[in-house]
Order: sequence, then structure tokens, then C-alpha cells
Amino acid sequence: MANTDKQVNELIKREYEHGFVTEIEADTFEPGLNEDVIRRLSAIKNEPEFMLEWRLKAYRRWLEMDEPDWAHVDFPKVDYNAISYYSAPKKKEDMPQSLDDVDPELLKTYEKLGIPLHERERLAGVAVDAVFDSVSVATTFKEPLEKAGVIFCPISEAVQKYPELVQKYLGSVVPAGDNYFAALNSAVFSDGSFVYIPKGVRCPLELSTYFRINAANTGQFERTLIVADDDSYVSYLEGCTAPMRDENQLHAAVVELVVLDNAQIKYSTVQNWYPGDENGKGGIYNFVTKRAACIGNNSKVSWTQVETGSAITWKYPSCVLRGDNSVGEFYSVALTHNFQQADTGTKMIHMGKNTSSTIISKGISAGRSSNAYRGLVKFGPTAEGARNFTQCDSLLIGDRCAAHTFPYIESKNKSAIVEHEATTSKVSDEQMFLCRQRGIDPEQAVSMIVNGFCKEVFKELPMEFAVEAGKLLEVSLEGSVG
Amino acid sequence: MKPAPTLSSAFLKPAGDFLPAPLLELRQQRGAALADMPLPTRKTENWKYSSRYLKLSDELATSLPTTGKHGTALAAPGHHVVFRNGVMVPEASDFPDTNGVTIKRFADLTDDEARELAERLDNTLDANAVQLARLNSARFEDGLLIRLAPDAVLEHPLFIISETDAHVSGSAYPRIYVDAGRHSQATLVEEYIANGAEPVMVNAVSEFVLAEGAQITSVRLSAEGENVQHVGATGVRQAAHSRFDSHCVGFGGPMRRHDLQVRLEESGANCRLNGVVVTQGRQHYDNHTVIEHVAPHCDSEETYRNIAAGQSHAVFNGRIHIHQDAQKSNANMSNKNLLLSTGAEIDTKPELEIYADDVKCAHGATVGQLNEESIFYLVSRGIDRRNARTLLTMAFINELIEQIPVEAVRETAQARLNHFIDQTFEEA
Repeated sequence: MANTDKQVNELIKREYEHGFVTEIEADTFEPGLNEDVIRRLSAIKNEPEFMLEWRLKAYRRWLEMDEPDWAHVDFPKVDYNAISYYSAPKKKEDMPQSLDDVDPELLKTYEKLGIPLHERERLAGVAVDAVFDSVSVATTFKEPLEKAGVIFCPISEAVQKYPELVQKYLGSVVPAGDNYFAALNSAVFSDGSFVYIPKGVRCPLELSTYFRINAANTGQFERTLIVADDDSYVSYLEGCTAPMRDENQLHAAVVELVVLDNAQIKYSTVQNWYPGDENGKGGIYNFVTKRAACIGNNSKVSWTQVETGSAITWKYPSCVLRGDNSVGEFYSVALTHNFQQADTGTKMIHMGKNTSSTIISKGISAGRSSNAYRGLVKFGPTAEGARNFTQCDSLLIGDRCAAHTFPYIESKNKSAIVEHEATTSKVSDEQMFLCRQRGIDPEQAVSMIVNGFCKEVFKELPMEFAVEAGKLLEVSLEGSVG
Repeated sequence: MKPAPTLSSAFLKPAGDFLPAPLLELRQQRGAALADMPLPTRKTENWKYSSRYLKLSDELATSLPTTGKHGTALAAPGHHVVFRNGVMVPEASDFPDTNGVTIKRFADLTDDEARELAERLDNTLDANAVQLARLNSARFEDGLLIRLAPDAVLEHPLFIISETDAHVSGSAYPRIYVDAGRHSQATLVEEYIANGAEPVMVNAVSEFVLAEGAQITSVRLSAEGENVQHVGATGVRQAAHSRFDSHCVGFGGPMRRHDLQVRLEESGANCRLNGVVVTQGRQHYDNHTVIEHVAPHCDSEETYRNIAAGQSHAVFNGRIHIHQDAQKSNANMSNKNLLLSTGAEIDTKPELEIYADDVKCAHGATVGQLNEESIFYLVSRGIDRRNARTLLTMAFINELIEQIPVEAVRETAQARLNHFIDQTFEEA
């Protein structure tokens, strides 16, 4: 195995490919958080009065809350006053009118990341609402969307243009006081995406947005709100990469999905924030609140996530199944390496009749990392005939990593049925032997086995993402066998 | 925020001064450590679902008087030791005179023996995880020390009957310590019963230390009445190739809690934990188990089944913890729950915490109701609906009851479960 070890070490040492810093001037607030900062933030964004009130209320709630410590992760305390709460790329004009107006430095950054922002994205059929640090700088493919009546814009723009929609739905799924990080986000969120799919519309494109943390010491507080009105459908893709940094950076996002009668939202994430170096130094803290409310009957939400990055991931995309016959799905692959820590899973809250949910979670731990699935399946007394199936499997690579499962199951309805199963295993010597015997090198063999392990989840991803996800796993994984 | 309620100082005044001095000292020490102990609340993770049932009024703090008639114990072949309100009743007890088996009540220990025991008490339990059971160490008034010499075999089961006289309000603190020598074997049956109708609390702690190759079968029957809050903890430490076989049968009550913690500390140790819980009316039952695989090559197998009817509430929390060097561990956990009515609640949390890679671990959990197709099958063969449901419900738990190796306990448990099921379906 000496040869393999060498290969392994080489691969383990591979640097984070997306680690570079774009040098552009940024308007950045002094670090610190108080009501004035929020007022300034709100004023810069030219927000209506109700938004400022909402932010301040959230901030006051946040002040009263304690930072949660129940997750199976370990990190030094975050100093919230050492973070700058606003950073926007310097604008030459008021707003970039077309791609030509966008700072070429920015465009280069995206190019390095392989975001299809130019002509090629037309072929890929993707409309990108690219979020660079905090302000959306370019939005493409507005036309076909506008034709269909779909609203897809930065949330700061939505606050101006569609205040009634924002006021109605913002915070309706994740209230400002929901949890510590959601409250913080509600107070200081800088930008994000807003999507509204009108009645009976099937969104003609897969919507996608790329988040990227750029300026140093800037917490990124994204806010995404997607509303699918009756009989509509949308598939939303979210991808994340971040440049290399030595200090830990905080990312506390909130994603809210509202699904009305017979509507369907498919939300896919590939998360590849900077995970820290091989000594566990640096990396992103990813504390995210994602929740979908299936308000309407026969509505459906499907979360798919591939989590390979971040020093610490703390995220539980949830579904509140309120409408009768509504469906919630959660497919997840979480991969941790080196000193990464992940505590992730989902919540399925069944309230409506005949609601059903499926949870497939695949955790892969390598190196000295720790990977936990934490999930809640809850059947209220009104959830007649509700159904859940949960499967969470863990794969361990290396003898210093850890894998945990903490599933909470609460049932108050006798006609509800829940099944939960979990297994833990490692890449077996037999599997490796079989592959190697057929001339497949160990790296490829592991990659193949792991890809097989995750297949159930990958097949849920839109095609472009599935390819990217497979690549990501390969990069993150190769070299973890010994 | 309201400060968390703390343990009333009334609970830190133990009775039973006839214990040997080293044990009295130990009690005092443990008691001092409990001053201002915060009581579990909804926010306490391991009491999340059960703290609301815990009612520790000062009336419960007084030690129950040790006099009174003794009730009917489990009539079965074997040896019997009867404890009443946590204190042994010598006239009702008969000790086996098998070679190598020493059984003594704490009150009869010499100072040297007591000193040795004092050093070892509480070593099997994780104090942070069994908050309330720690009260036992500050309050026990007597107890049973069972020592099995190497190779000693106790042929008949030993029944330890803990009876609580609930004619006045108060609390009792039964305590058992089992020290099983190399390759010794024994079957112990703990039965908890009560008579009287005043509200009381029973706080029972049992500890088992198994030396290499020891084989212990432990049966625990918790069947007190509607007036009894029961907080119990069982701690087990296992050396190489030892086997611990546990069968817990629990009937619901106003507050029932049992913590079972097993540490597999040397290679080849293995354990099987079976549990059956039934609750009805407004009853509650909470089982918390922890299996720690500390050493490599250990096996554990855990199966718990709960049935909740009426407006009752059954809780299961099972944790398997595989330590970093515990390679080649095998751990299986299964928890199945039958929810018989919509007013009832079942909460289950089967946890895995794994720090080694070459292990085989799996857990499964289900919550559901009786399968309509199975009922239909039986009904189509001329069995009426109620009997069909009774049959299926009994079948759900019988698989585990049948594994109890002591016939008398099996029969008692089955009869009681039948009665429970009859009552349940009468209500429905």
C-alpha cells in the first residue's frame, strides 16, 4: 500500500482550486453591529419603512437570544462585533445595465469558477442571478422569464418593486425570531434572490444563483425567498464556492420557500465553501436556516444538497407539510474531510392529511472530520395517513473520522407510519480488491464506490449539477484511501 | 429567562442511620454534591419529552417508614430477597447457600467491606446522564451486595423484590450492587411493585460489574401503580468475553424512567438488551439506553418495543457509542412502536455515534399502527376484529417476552400484558 499512501498524500495536499481573491474596491462597513449599522444598511438599500422596522425587531430579538450549542460541532466562539455587515462592489454607475457594465474583474472571477454568465449559458439554459458578496451585479435571461411572468430578481430590488409580495411572505416561513442565526440574518441580510412563480406557470428555465464570499472579514447574510403560486413549478439551483482565507468566515443564510396548491419547488444546492486547510485552519462557518412551507394541498418540495465544503456546516433544510397530500423530499450527500465538521439533516413536520416525506441522507467522513445526521420527523395529531421513510447511511474512510446519527421521531397520530433505518460501514477491502483486480487504480475505485454510494441522491440533481457534484466528490475524496 | 428549578433541600435528608460508617460518609458526600442541582426541564436534552411528568413535591422527600405488612411477592422457584421501601426484610428473604455466592445487605457489611464497596459504588454510571438517579447515592438506606466468586454458578434465579408501601407519601431508594467474578453465572430478577395509594417516588439504582467470561442475565419488571413515580438506573461494566443479557418489561405510570448504560470495556464482551413497554390512559414511560463500545471486537444487540394506547406517552432513546479504537464492533439496534390511538404519543431517537471505521452498525425504528391487511386476514378466517387486534398486538411484543429465560417471569409478564391489551381494546 506504500504506493497508494504516496498518491493519497499527494492528493490530500491538493490545494483548494477556487482559492483566489479578486481585487476590487469594496464599500465596506466598519466591523460591528448595532441599531445604527442596521439603519445605515437599510438606508443604503433605500428600503421602505416596514423593512427597517422588521430588521430592528429581529435585531432586538437576536440580542435576547443565546447562541445555540447543541450541535455536534466544536469551534471557537464567533465575535459578532468583529464582522463587517455590509460590503458591496464599487459601482461605476448606479446599476449595471448589461453584462458590459459589470466590472471585468468580477466577470473574471466568475469565469475562473466556471459560471456560465456569457453566451454559453444560453446553451446551458441557465439564468444566473450572480451574487457577488452582497449586491447582485448581473442578472441574465430576464426576458424569457418576464414573458412567462416569473419574477426573478435580487431581493433588494423586490423590496422596491414588489413590496406587497415581500411583506406578505418574508418571514412567513422562517420568522425573524426562529433561531439565533435566522434572527441575525433577518436583522442584517444584505441581499439574495427573490422568485415568484405566478399561478399555473411552469418556469421555462432552471433558475440558478452563485454565492461567493469575497472581501475579507465579511459575513455573508443571504436571504432567499421563493414563492410558487397555485399549479406552478420551479427548479432552483444554488452553488457556492469561496476564495481561500485564513480567518473563519461566517455565513448565516436564510432560505424560505412558500408552496401553494398543486405547486412544486425543486431546490438543489451544491455547497463548496472553503473548508479550511489540512490542519483545520480557516474555512467557512455555514449556519443556514432553510425551510419550506407546503401551505397548499398537493404541493411538493424537494431539497437536494451536496455538501462538500465549509469548515463547519450546520444546516437542516426542512419541510412543513401543512396542506393535505403534500410531499416533502430530502436528498443529501455530505462529505467531510480533514478537520471539517458537519451537523446536517432535515425536519419533516407533518400536519396535513396523507402527507408523505422521504429522507435519503448519505454521509461520508474522511480524515479527521466529523459528520452528523440530525433529523426530525414529526406527525401532528391531524396528520391522518401520513407517511415517512428515512434512510441515512454513513461511509467512513480512515480510522480517525467520526459519523453520527441523531434522528428524532415524534408521532401523535396512530394512522401515521414512519420507518427509519441507518447503517454505517466503510469501503470494504473486498470491494477494493474486486476493483483493483480488474485494473482500476485505488483512487478511481474509491471514487467509483463512493459515487455508487451517493447515486440515489445524484440522480435527483439536475444534469449540470450532477456532473459538478460528481467532480466535486472526486476532488474532495481522491486521496482519502489508505 | 426564568432560572431552572433546583432540587429541594428536603430531598437531601436521608434516613437509615444503621448503615456502616463508610457508606454513611459516601451518602453525605454525594448529597453535598447535589445541593442546588438543577432539575431537568424541557430544555434538558435527555429529559426533553419526560420532564413534564416529573413532579418532585417536598412531600415526596420524606423517607417511607420501614414498617408495615408485606404484600405478595412473585411466587416462583428460586431464591427471594424482599426489600420494603428500600430496606431489606430478613424474615421474608431466603439466601442461596451456593458455594462462592455471597449475598449481604448493606447494613450487615463490616467496615472493611463497606469501605471497599463505597469506593466502587456509582462507577458504572455516567453521572451527567442520570441526573436524578444520583439522588439514590445520597439517600439509599440499605441495599444488596451480591458477590460471585470465580466460576461460581447460581443455579436458580434470584428474585429481588422491591416493594413500596404507599400508605403515606414519601420516597424509597432501593440499591443493588452485583460483582460477578471470572466465569461466574447468575440470573437475577428485579421486580418493582407497590401497594397503597398515596403518591410516592421510587428511585432505584442497580450496578453490575462483570469480570472476564462472566454471564449475567438480568430481568427487570417495573409494575408499580398509578401513584408511583419511578426513576431507575442500571449501570453495567463488562470485561473480556463477558455476556450481559437484559430483559426489561415496563408498565406505564404517572412518571416512569429507566436509564440503562452498558460499557463493553474489553474485547469479546457482548450484550443483548431487550425491552418491552406498554402504556395506556394518561401513562408515561421513558427508556434511555446507552451502549458504549470501548474496546474492539465487541457485539451488542438491542431490541425495544413500545405500545402506547389512550392518551399515553412512550419514549425511547437509544445511543450506541463506538469509541475510536473499538474496531470490528458489531452493533444493532431496533426500536418498533405501536401507536394504538391518536391521543397517544411516541417519541423515539435511535442514535449512533461512531469514531471507528471498521464497524458494522445499524439501527432501525418504526412507528405505526396494526396492519389492516393482517387484521383482515384474521377476520376473513372467522376471528372477530377485537380478537384479531389482541392477537396481533400480543404477537408484536411476544417475540421479546418469549426470550425471557425465567418461566415464572415470562408467565407473569404475559398475564399482565394480556390484561393490559384487553383493557386497551375494551376502551377502544
